[in-house]
Amino acid sequence: MSYPVGARVRVRTGDPDHHTRMPRYVRGHTGEVVAVLGRWPLPDDRARGIDPPRVETCYAVRFSAADLWGSGDHTVTADLWESYLDRS
Amino acid sequence: MGGQTGFGPVPAGADAGPPFAADWEARVYALAAILRRRGLFNDDELRDAIERLPPQRYLAASYYERWLGALETLTAEKGVP
Amino acid sequence: MTVHDELPAAARTRRLEERLIAAGLASDEEIDEYLTRLYTSASPVNGARMAARAWTDPAYRDLLLSDGNAAAAELGFGGLSYALRVVPNTSTTHNVIVCTLCSCYPVSLLGPSPGWYKSFAYRSRTVREPRAVLAEFGLTLPGDVRISVWDSTSEARYMVLPVRPAGTDGLSADQLAALVTRNGLIGTALV
Repeated sequence: MSYPVGARVRVRTGDPDHHTRMPRYVRGHTGEVVAVLGRWPLPDDRARGIDPPRVETCYAVRFSAADLWGSGDHTVTADLWESYLDRS
Repeated sequence: MGGQTGFGPVPAGADAGPPFAADWEARVYALAAILRRRGLFNDDELRDAIERLPPQRYLAASYYERWLGALETLTAEKGVP
Repeated sequence: MTVHDELPAAARTRRLEERLIAAGLASDEEIDEYLTRLYTSASPVNGARMAARAWTDPAYRDLLLSDGNAAAAELGFGGLSYALRVVPNTSTTHNVIVCTLCSCYPVSLLGPSPGWYKSFAYRSRTVREPRAVLAEFGLTLPGDVRISVWDSTSEARYMVLPVRPAGTDGLSADQLAALVTRNGLIGTALV
């Protein structure tokens, strides 16, 4: 599964007990893919010494402040690996 | 840490000085880069080691004290004598 | 935790160095050489040159915004260890960069990061109340300017392309570059 620019994606929930680069404040929230970034090893695997680590596409995903915090007119874009996301 | 409240104003004035407040901070930064380059650990293991510092220590330590703690953790875990 | 916690950081650092040197994993020479290289080559002057070039050369601007690494290489900053993404300010959008998870930062183009960038306050508040954070830097944006916050959570590192200030038409590349500050390249200043 890969996401094109413009796709609506939802960040997975859950609180892994290992290192991850999925910030807490976006978990469970839906955003829009604004850029497809590179294919990079998953930090979750690299931090645990899993060899070889999964290599996945990373996406720049934009969220609205109103959605994240209930107020504000700004947007926040976070870079998220594919396994952090589901199609919305 | 995004969105967490209670941290007060940004120390915006605290950047007129040098990037490292003391020699040891610069040396910690350099050691991290050298050890990463040597393959003792990777970036994600370093970040993980910082995150694994006990919460009170994480919050009480300065930025480079956290790096130092992480390097001490990793050198021990990787079996450096 | 252990007796190490009671030693000042400088002493702990020296102890760590001695262990690593004894194990053949580091040397004083390597540390000195690394820091010398860092201080001489990593600087916001680098990012400023890229911004100034983009102001005067539309083709370079396009390259900078579509392939930051290629644009950096063109000015002699090749071999970046990160994927550079440059985001342009406009009359209606102002960008600001943060790393909420740690303190990721394009060091080679901006120099080592300032203390405030690494602070819990900046890391926690910029994604939530950027306008208030920018005000603490003395930057008050008009109400119709929207703020776009970029959280550096992956291998990409972000840099802002500020808007070229008015009244700078006759300036040389060097003079233009001198207008660009590190804070402007992070987004906590207009330029």
